[in-house]
Amino acid sequence: MYLNHFEYYAPRTAGEAFELVGRLGDQAKVLAGGTDLMLILKEKLIKPQYLIDINGVKEFQGIAYAAGKGAVIGAATKISEVEHSAIIRDKYFALYQAAGELGSVQVRAMATIGGNSCHASPAAETPTPLVTLRARVVIKSAAGERQLPLEDFILGNRKTVLGVGEILTGFILPEPAPRSASRYAYIGLRNAMEIDAVNMAVNLVLEDDGRTIKDLRLVMGSVAPRPLISAEVPAILVGQEFGSELVGKAAAAAAGEARPISDIRASAEYRREMVAVLARRLLQEAFDAAREV
Amino acid sequence: MNSRNFSQVGRSVPRIDGPAKVKGEAIYTDDMVLPRMAYGKIKRSPYAHALIKKIDYSKALALPGVLAVITGEEAPNKWGIVPQTANEVALAVHKVRFHGEGVAAVAAIDEETAEAALNLIEVEYEPLPVLLDPFASMKRAKEVRIHEEAPDNILHQAEQLFGDPDKAFAGCAYILEKEFHTSYVNHAFLEPHTSLASYDPQSGQLQLWSSTQVPHYLHRQLSIVLEMPMNRIRVTVPAVGGGFGGKGEASSADFCAALLSRKTGRPVRVTYERSEVFATNKGRHPCHMKMKIGLDKDGYIQAVDFDNTLDGGAYAGWGIVVMFYTASMIHLPYRVPNARARVRRVYTNKPTCGAMRGLGGVQPRYAMECMLDELAEMIGVSPYELKMKNAVESGYRSVSNLHVPHTEFKKCLQTVVDKSGYLEKHGKLPFGKGIGLAGGYYISGTAYTLYLSYKPHTTVLIRLDTEGGVTLHCAAADIGQGCNTVMAQMAAEALGVRYEDVHVVSGDTELGTFDLGSFASRLTYASGAAIKEAAKQINDKLFEVAAGMLGCRADQLEVKNCRFYSTFEPDKTIPWEKVVDVYTNTVGTLTGIGHFSPPRLKGIDLSRGARVQGANIGHSPTFGFSAQVIEVDVDVETGKVRVVKVTEAGDCGQAVNPMSVEGQVEGSIMFTLGQALYEEMKMDADGRMLNPSLHDYKVPTAMELPEIDSTIVESYDPTAPFGVKESGEGPVQPTIPAIANAVYDAIGVRFTELPITPEKVLKALKEKKEKEKQ
Repeated sequence: MYLNHFEYYAPRTAGEAFELVGRLGDQAKVLAGGTDLMLILKEKLIKPQYLIDINGVKEFQGIAYAAGKGAVIGAATKISEVEHSAIIRDKYFALYQAAGELGSVQVRAMATIGGNSCHASPAAETPTPLVTLRARVVIKSAAGERQLPLEDFILGNRKTVLGVGEILTGFILPEPAPRSASRYAYIGLRNAMEIDAVNMAVNLVLEDDGRTIKDLRLVMGSVAPRPLISAEVPAILVGQEFGSELVGKAAAAAAGEARPISDIRASAEYRREMVAVLARRLLQEAFDAAREV
Repeated sequence: MNSRNFSQVGRSVPRIDGPAKVKGEAIYTDDMVLPRMAYGKIKRSPYAHALIKKIDYSKALALPGVLAVITGEEAPNKWGIVPQTANEVALAVHKVRFHGEGVAAVAAIDEETAEAALNLIEVEYEPLPVLLDPFASMKRAKEVRIHEEAPDNILHQAEQLFGDPDKAFAGCAYILEKEFHTSYVNHAFLEPHTSLASYDPQSGQLQLWSSTQVPHYLHRQLSIVLEMPMNRIRVTVPAVGGGFGGKGEASSADFCAALLSRKTGRPVRVTYERSEVFATNKGRHPCHMKMKIGLDKDGYIQAVDFDNTLDGGAYAGWGIVVMFYTASMIHLPYRVPNARARVRRVYTNKPTCGAMRGLGGVQPRYAMECMLDELAEMIGVSPYELKMKNAVESGYRSVSNLHVPHTEFKKCLQTVVDKSGYLEKHGKLPFGKGIGLAGGYYISGTAYTLYLSYKPHTTVLIRLDTEGGVTLHCAAADIGQGCNTVMAQMAAEALGVRYEDVHVVSGDTELGTFDLGSFASRLTYASGAAIKEAAKQINDKLFEVAAGMLGCRADQLEVKNCRFYSTFEPDKTIPWEKVVDVYTNTVGTLTGIGHFSPPRLKGIDLSRGARVQGANIGHSPTFGFSAQVIEVDVDVETGKVRVVKVTEAGDCGQAVNPMSVEGQVEGSIMFTLGQALYEEMKMDADGRMLNPSLHDYKVPTAMELPEIDSTIVESYDPTAPFGVKESGEGPVQPTIPAIANAVYDAIGVRFTELPITPEKVLKALKEKKEKEKQ
């Protein structure tokens, strides 16, 4: 299991990093945590000539929060830092949950939140809650910067909009709405170290009455080539009082929207059924939590 | 020494090998680097069944850094752990029979070059039809033959008949007949197979370091394949990262390392990738079983009829032994007066199945314990009552001539039922929560060597002098099960010293005296017997010297806590070391040697070929027992089964190291829980494995660990050295059926196919609902 030979660069500043990705182009891969990259290198799925290790670039790391404005998470922030951040737990609970389910303790200490989106595995943990929380990605290059919603960044299985010379540098998370809560869950055989058969996150905002749903986002993972934002669930629930009958209807609608495949981890039918189970459970959990806020 | 007033045996001491392993300092074979060492790699077949038309390795050999390439034709001698069925070769000759079978091997100056060289070896194949199912294999045998010498694609088949089951069934009040299917699972030990060979062209000596559980059997196989006398080969076992039966025979890594070393004159190391561990497997046999059990009106078992088709994979391996074990295992731990077994072990184009912890017991145990649960319901009694009624007692001899000198099985059942509150909970928990009971047992050593010799199975040499203290020599392999520690404890007990004072030299065929290997849960019993004999010789000598020094008679002395003392005059006492000093100064180094041979049973005479049915497989000097009550939560929406609590009670005789026993029990439960719920090797239609990594082959993690409440029941086998029995394979037996019985209690569905996955549970729940509607 040997890697092909490559040249290794370790830029110390963002400027150096942009210069390198611009100059080396598609012959280069950016190395962040390496927990996915090293595996595909060993399997010889890709053979880059250059690796650009961005772990030394401080500007790409860390979690910053400003009350009323939201949070900015550097793309090279370790999953374990996200998992143990009090602010993420307090404000973006679904992301906290997903970060805690990614790989093992060892993997979380190495893997980065940006890498999880750039690798763009359909079964990835963190893109699901990030999309649910309306995260925008920050993409920078020597030429400048652009921002777009994460759902527009991930195009499909291992495909993103990232162009030559560009690096994903961070995520911008808006301040959570009042009386809102987010929740995440997954379905897998074991209670740890799983490649999710299905995952899902819900963000639910209540009206002042504490019963009526003001806004809602439900995103499914591992049932489509990229995070799948439910259109039907908000259509059924927004503006309505929360109730089990409507939730059942919404869950069935989500299952209808899912486009799962059968593979070694689960059959398409099972995945579809689990979408309904997760939707029911997460809507209830998020509703209960939003009433507590 | 049959006193139970032990000081060293029964002590929960840390493992001798523990600190080095915890600190990461233990040396495994793959950690070893020798001067001029080369790296070996094996080229593997991309077909599950094909003729090899041509192998061209000229390009590989031309690659700078490549030292040698070998193919199967250079070492065509067939090897096998069971000599009567030996049909494996170091590398495939003319034909491959499973996907991933080795066809050539390379030695190069580094691993990277070796890997690159593999890609330069050109192999021309003529694909043959692939048989992956044992029933299809038997059916299509005329058209597709996996081995020339097996025209029906069956390694071996047999029928055993004890008593008159047909007549007995005719008189039964309750009869249940069911089918069970177990899955294709691998041991998933942490350390992949590794072998380092160093052949010295000057002396013609070969030394091999290998991650093996059976240095002796490996030694023999090397001798056969390399055509070298055994006394020219030395096998050494460094630290081993688990075996569980998977290292219970030689591997291609051993042969390729040795052959490449002999060819290059340099040391060569071969370490498998995880995918190669799966590709060469030797895991548990999937069994397709039909079982029929008949009870009389009072619930006593009258007859068992067992039919088993074992999916053996490509080669023989331990197959015939496993096959006969499955037949043998129906005779205990319940009294079965009439029994029939029809068993066959079938070849398929899959990586070969072999020995795996609790071999041959786990599958029939699953069937039998689930069926007794169901029969109890038919009769209207608790499964506990039914199992207690039929449980064997000390002195029992089965119709198949298995003799149980001592058992506390009933105490095991009682203990788990009392401690778990089974009777208060069973049948009374809310839907989705369930509790299940199962029993089990396993052998403590076997009756014969596989090559049918009467030689002693274990020899222990104890050496004693002032300079070295006590050194125990035995070529036993500590593969993590803890035999070095318990051997030290038993030797210390017998010599009257502390276990910390005993140095153990094991895992080496040159430095250690003979031992058959770590399998069949044999070592504590076997080495215990040999240690007692060796220690007696030493004590006899030391007692004479001590007696002279103390001014009393030798037969009035005892030795304990590092002192000799007179049993009549306790103030006549002298430190043990002083006596050793005097002995060393006057006579020199003192040695004692002890042998263990299993007790022979009447009616067996290998020289005339007269043997009991089943070649005596399943016979053992004594047996260990275990009972488990398992509680589960079933998520009826997702189908996920969560094992919440396991209450276990085991009869391992006298526990030599109770802490070690607890580790064995907890390990056994997790090991088997994985097979019940998660683990399964999956293949595509061409026989290519779909999940040959620990990423996709799902062993339970720490998050699946249930609460485990285990009890070592008070037990002492008076026929055993230090009263001991096994504890590493008995506790494996009840876990699967206890889970299956608990799932039934939770949701009313009996699962007869493993693993019990969420999808199967959900499907079964739906079918049940449909049925209830009708």
